[in-house]
Order: sequence, then C-alpha cells, then structure tokens
Amino acid sequence: MLKTLFLALALVATSHAQETKSAIKPLAFTEYDLPNGLHVILHENHAAPVVSTYVLYHVGSKNERPDRTGFAHFFEHLMFEGSENIPRSRIDKLISGAGGNLNASTSFDVTDYFFNLPQNQLALALWIESERMLHNRIDETGVETQRQVVKEERRMRYDNQPYGSLFEQLCKMVFAGTSYEWTPIGSTQYIDQAQIGEFREFWKTYYMPNNATLVIAGDFKTEDAKKLIADYFGDIPKGTAPKRPVVKLTPPKKPVLVEVKEAKTPLPAAMHAWVACPETDPDAVALDLLADILASGRSSRLYRRLVDKEQAAVAAQAFPVLFESAGLIGVFATGNRGVTLEKLDQLIDEEVEKVKAEGVTEDEFTKALNGKEDELARDNSQMSARARNLARARLTWGKTSEVNGELNRYLAVKREDLKRVANKYLIKEQTYRLHYPVAEAPAK
Amino acid sequence: MSFRILLTSAVALLPFVAPAVDRTKQPTPGAAPTAAFPDFKVRTLASGLRVIVIPDDRSPTVTLRLQLKAGSTVDGGSGLSGFTASLLNRGTAKLDAAAFAKAIDSIGAQLNGGASADSMSVSTSGLTKFTDRLLELFADALVNPVFPADELAKEQKRSLSSIAAGKKQPGTLAGNLMGRVIFGEHPYGKFSTEDSVKAVTRDAIVAFHKTWIVPNNASLVIVGDVEPDAIVAKVEKAFAAWESRPTPPLAPLPPPPKMSGLTVHLVDRPESVQSSIIVCQPAPARNFPDLPEVNVMNSTLGGGFSGRLFQNLREKHGYTYGSSCAFNYYAQGGYFQATADARNEVTAPAIKEILNEIGRIRTEPIPAEELELQRQYNVGNYLLSLESASRVAGRVQDIELYGLPADFYKTYATRMSAVTPDSAQKLAQKYLSTENTAIVVVGKAETVKPELEKIGKVVVYDTELNVVK
Repeated sequence: MLKTLFLALALVATSHAQETKSAIKPLAFTEYDLPNGLHVILHENHAAPVVSTYVLYHVGSKNERPDRTGFAHFFEHLMFEGSENIPRSRIDKLISGAGGNLNASTSFDVTDYFFNLPQNQLALALWIESERMLHNRIDETGVETQRQVVKEERRMRYDNQPYGSLFEQLCKMVFAGTSYEWTPIGSTQYIDQAQIGEFREFWKTYYMPNNATLVIAGDFKTEDAKKLIADYFGDIPKGTAPKRPVVKLTPPKKPVLVEVKEAKTPLPAAMHAWVACPETDPDAVALDLLADILASGRSSRLYRRLVDKEQAAVAAQAFPVLFESAGLIGVFATGNRGVTLEKLDQLIDEEVEKVKAEGVTEDEFTKALNGKEDELARDNSQMSARARNLARARLTWGKTSEVNGELNRYLAVKREDLKRVANKYLIKEQTYRLHYPVAEAPAK
Repeated sequence: MSFRILLTSAVALLPFVAPAVDRTKQPTPGAAPTAAFPDFKVRTLASGLRVIVIPDDRSPTVTLRLQLKAGSTVDGGSGLSGFTASLLNRGTAKLDAAAFAKAIDSIGAQLNGGASADSMSVSTSGLTKFTDRLLELFADALVNPVFPADELAKEQKRSLSSIAAGKKQPGTLAGNLMGRVIFGEHPYGKFSTEDSVKAVTRDAIVAFHKTWIVPNNASLVIVGDVEPDAIVAKVEKAFAAWESRPTPPLAPLPPPPKMSGLTVHLVDRPESVQSSIIVCQPAPARNFPDLPEVNVMNSTLGGGFSGRLFQNLREKHGYTYGSSCAFNYYAQGGYFQATADARNEVTAPAIKEILNEIGRIRTEPIPAEELELQRQYNVGNYLLSLESASRVAGRVQDIELYGLPADFYKTYATRMSAVTPDSAQKLAQKYLSTENTAIVVVGKAETVKPELEKIGKVVVYDTELNVVK
C-alpha cells in the first residue's frame, strides 16, 4: 500500500525524464524513522536470492581534529573488532561463514559499512550492525594492530605509488584552512598519536542511531524486515546530534603553483584546480557536464587536443570533486615522455579559456547528456548499488526519492549554463596548479 | 511530506514490548537458497559466429562482448593482438578516427578492445534506444577497420610512455617479473618493451586482423534489456558482410619451465617505502579437473578477510593492509600467487609467514569448522555473483574458450560443498609447494636484501628487469 503510494510519487518526479523516452526504472522503497532516530529505507526486490545491507554514518574526515587526521578511517577499522556479544575478530568470519562478503569505506563526509549475503542471512547482518551500533568493543590489541595496518594501507595506496600524493596535495592547497584540507587516510604522525580513549569518545559522538541510515535491498519481505529492525535496533539509545563543521573557502588572490618533486614520478604531470560548489548546489550538475565535455571520451576537447593532436599527454581528465560543504573542479594531464610542464599548462589554459569564451556546442551538450543517461542507467542494477544509492540520496538531499531524480537534475541544465559555470568557477587569476616534474632527464 | 508523517506514525504504533530477540546469540538462518546457473542457448549463425543472449531488464542498456581466440598464444607474445584490438576503434572505411570517436560518444556509449593471454575481446555498451546505431558501429569497427598509420604511431608513442611509467610502479614491475619467472619463453611470460612496441607494423596488424578476426573464431554474448530473437536478427544483419575464413592451427609453444628450488627475485626500487611481495609457482591450465575443489582449499589459505593469510599477516601481525592468494589459469598453464605489501623492516617476516601458511595447509588437515566456513563462503559468494548478468556472460564464454564441460557451472556449487579435510589436504599437497617456489619482491634492496638472503638465494634486478651482477 505504502509502496504503491510511493511509486505514484516517483512517477510524478520522473515525468520530465519520460518526455525524453528515458526508460530508467525508478526504485521503489519504503522508509521511516525508529523512535531513536535511525532512518530506515527498505527496497524489496525478488530478482535474485540475495540481500544487501548498508549502514551510512554521517561522519567522515571533515569531522576530525586537525591533530587527529586519519581518525575516522582508523576508527572504521575498529568497527570490525567486535561487540559485547561478538568476540574480537569474529565479524568477518560470521559473514564469510554465512556465504557473504563485507567491507566499509571512509570519505570526507561519511563512513559506510556493507554486507552482501544470501537472502536467508538478513537477521545475521542486522544483528552485527546493531551490535556495533549499540556496544562496539575495542581493546588495546585491536588498536595497536590496526594502527600498523592503517599505516601499511597508507604506504600501499599513496606513499609507494607514483602521483600517490596528488589528492592530498590538491586538498591541502584548495581547501586550506578548512577541515577538507586533509584526506581520509590522514597523516602517519597523527595515526601514531591516536588513543583508545579518543576512539571510544568518537564512537559515542558519531555512531548514534540518529546519525545513521540503514538500508536493506533485495530478497526479503518488508514486514519481516521491519520487525527484525525494531527488535535489533529499537533499544539502541538516541544520542545528541553531533555538531557539523562549517567550511568557508577563500579563493586565492593570485594563481598558486606547488611543485611536488618525487623520485617515483615517471612522467611529467600537471593539475589545474579551482574552488567549485558543494554537491547539492544547482551548479553541480552543470560542472559535471562541463567536465565530461572537456575530458570524457576520445571526442572530448582535452583528449582531442592534448592526447590526439599535440600528442603532449598520455591521458587527460577533468573532474569535479564535490563534497557536502565545499567542492573543487580539477583538470589533470599526464604528459608523454619529454613533454614540458609549461607545454601541458599552456594547452590546458588554452582549452579552458576557449570553453569560457565560446561555451559548448549543441552536439557536445547532447553527447554529455546521453553519456550521463547511460551512466545513470547502469548505476542501479545490483542490490548492493541500490542500497548505497538510496542511502546517499537520503543523506545528500534529505530526500530519498532523489535517488530517482538524478537524470532530471541533468536534464534541467541548459546549454548556456555550461558557459556560465565555466566563467563563474574557472577563473584564471584563481587557478591552483600542481606540477609533478620527472626526477631524472627523460630517456633519449 | 504527508507520506513520511504517515509512515512515522505507523511505526510508532508498532508494539515495543519485551525484547523479541536474544542478542547474545547469533540468529539462526532459514534454509539457504540454491545457486542456479541460468540456462543459456548458443545460436550459431551461418557465418560460424556463436551468439548467446542473456536478457536482463534491470536497466535500459545493452552490452555486447565479442571474444576471439586471438591473444598472446596466437601472436607469440609480440603484443600484436593488443595493438590490433586497441586500434579497431581508430578509423574504418566509413569513418576516420575522430569521426568514429564522435559517433560513439554522441550516443553516450563505449566501444573498446583489448587482448590477453588466450583471447581478444571487443566490447560495446549503450542505451537500448541506440541499439541499432551501436550495432552498426560495432560491426564497422570489427569488419572494416583501416588501421591508419598515424593512429598506430600515436598508440606506439603512448605505449612507450606507459612502459616508462610502469618502470616506476611496484605492481607493474612485480607482475612483469613474475610472468617471466613462471612462464619463461612462453608467450604468457612476455610483456611490452620498447623493442616490442617499436617492432609492430601496420602490415602485421592488417594481416593479424585478416587471419584471426573472423566470425568462426568468435563468440558474442549480449546482455541487457533485449528480446533474444530480435537482437540476434539485428546482429545477423549488422554483421552480414563479415566473412568466415578457416584460422591456421596454433603453432606449438615452448612449455612453461619447471620450477625447482626456492629463489628470491628482488627488483631494486630505491624509493620504495614498502615491499610488494608475490610468492608464486606454476599451476595447471584452466580445464584441469579439480578447479572447484581447489577454490575451497585456496580460500582457506588466503581468500577474503577470513583466509589464513589475512588473519595471520594482517590481523595477527599487522605486517600488511591485505594478504591473499589465488590460482590464475590460462588455456595452456597457470600460476599460483600469494601477495602482500609489507613495510621494509617486516618484508622477510611477512614472506616467512606466507611460506609457513603454505606449509601448514599441506601438512595439517583443515579443522572441520574452518572448512565448513570456507565451503559456505565459496558457495554463498558464487550465488551472489550470479546477480551480475555480465559475470554470468563471462562464464558462458569461458566454457567455450577453455573447453570446459557444458555443465561446469551447474555443478560448481555442489562440488565446492563436497570438499573434505582429507581432499583439501591432498589438493594442497598436489598443487602447492614450499620448496619449489619463486618469491618476487619489489623494494629497497639496500634495506631488505640481507634478511631475504636468509630465506633463499637472492637474484637482484634493476627496474629494467635486468639482473644486477
């Protein structure tokens, strides 16, 4: 009954898309809050005998103290330790032994935990998630082990890889002075300093039902799931609403250039970046389409110019990185051997100035919308993705039905908007640049 | 708005009385669902092209993946198959490279080719409303490519840059050296070099295309929101001009070398802050009779979070972010690899623990409870993987490419469920060794070499993968 009602609402919301003969199927769901504030979203679908659970906590690296960077991610590792009723290091074995898989991730704004299981194991998933929300348990052994593990993760993903410091350098520059200026992996120094008492405090502050969204997607009956959720999560006490950091960016008065010299850099690379908008800003979708026109596919402007015509670059990318409270847009080119950074800069500058002066063509605009429709159409095929997208829509927009409204947001953009946002954000005097020079002379 | 209020009040009316669950105990699951590999039909067109359609109406898209027996076993490891595959979308008799790119991008679609050990694959995907145009471009790329000389030159230049980049990447260095150590002069052991890239000519690509990219050497799977008969009719029409031609017999290839003794192959990368470790040894070809059962033995040793390597190297010792192992199989051979990335000072201890775990699974039967977990893990995750239509499609193509029994994936779960402590131990003894193994390490030699010498003979390489005297 409620589902039918919801479907009707969803159809109203997507009528715009239907005018363009889009056949993306809206996701049906029911949602409610438990008295303790836990927001629940249920997507019942019997296509395959699988079920995915997804718990999203509204806490990420931007909630960290500047002298405890990497803390939210470190804590995420500790959520696999155990609880009052689950002994240490049993969680992964319970899920594996039930035929499932599990993982978690930490970003700037949020931390998520997911299980994918055969459909008969939904209660197990809810038991574990409720246990670690109600009384997660961590001990010194767990903290010290994960401290080493997290530092190895940092070495593997960043310190040992060519350009591994790129994102860190970028955020440090563009988001300077805000809590987006460090990345979720954090610095080794502060990973070393984190104390067990601080973790317990962090959990109390942020891992509260009223700061979480629980989604179940897959092969279950909504009524059964509601009962299980009430049973497992109903008695978790509500917490105090956590404070949210305020992020205020100041664009630079003149262009900024940072050179990153590293022995492991194999090819010259240049990044140009600008302050952009938060993810829910109406300009966000226009910036995304602009980035696609600049660098997505072999007919994109930067590919045609830098990679194909001038053969100055191996690859070129353009991407908005938009968060809850701030954003940036970047253009990144990896040069061919022997190409100078000045050449990469010049080519990027010319293409950016060109799109600001001339805007985009009708063909380019249609192409970008088709590409977005294709991308969004593939987005919701598996239950794990559906669970994730439902939770993200709710957290980002405060409105779960926006999960079915994404294409509409793109279709609402006008071609002229792309020229407008290019001029609004890609301001020449406010460009941040990163250079990765090659350490040795390139091979002759 | 009113909808939400309605729901909230509905929930508030639910009876919140006595706790209905005992949260001190793991809940008891209901009956487990059974993994059912879907039935599929192979249709052979007049040209010899085998077509399999797997309908999936979850999204309004269609994906076509053509797989040809035209990989490194055919080109001898020269890289010709890869260049041919990459250049299929760089110009046809009708459209030059720029026009072709524009045509694909303008409908928001993708079309790319690539080659691997035993096969070449060319895939395209797009929205179903553009199916006709997508098929037209797909057929054009496969049947009428012109391989423009300037596009080849650009691709070669980019490849040379990629090779230069690879010499700074620990993963690329380790993977290349491992291939050479396991497969020697067999094409599976070859990788792109400056010389191999420069040796590729347009004439050779044209000839490769003519010889190997023929319908009788290919299978096509189509996944998406399509009606099987209708889409096959469209494929038949789009590929009407694609002529079959007998392919030459495969040239006999040097067999992979036999591995004897334990050798550490150390690539000196002075800037490394962590060592990339691969303990590796030869394994059988893809169609060997024990694959499903070996999966269970392998995952006990090092599959996922509950495997012994992860539990030991990460959860017990904190040596690494992750450690796992896998058997990788090709048509003519395979390899086993156990990997970890460990900081310099624990490089040797991490290797010793990997070897200890390989030794333990050979000498001690797996405890019943642990084996039950691993059987469930394999069967359950196989069931989960069937949710992905493209995974199913890939498996259907594997059955043909590797000459597997037609019911291979029908019996897969049952066979994994039947592994016993005794059978797992026998498989470990048959397919794993602690004595005849190679250990590839990419790291800072100055720091890690002295300890590695206590494990076995160490051969040091530079980042060109030449042995350093």
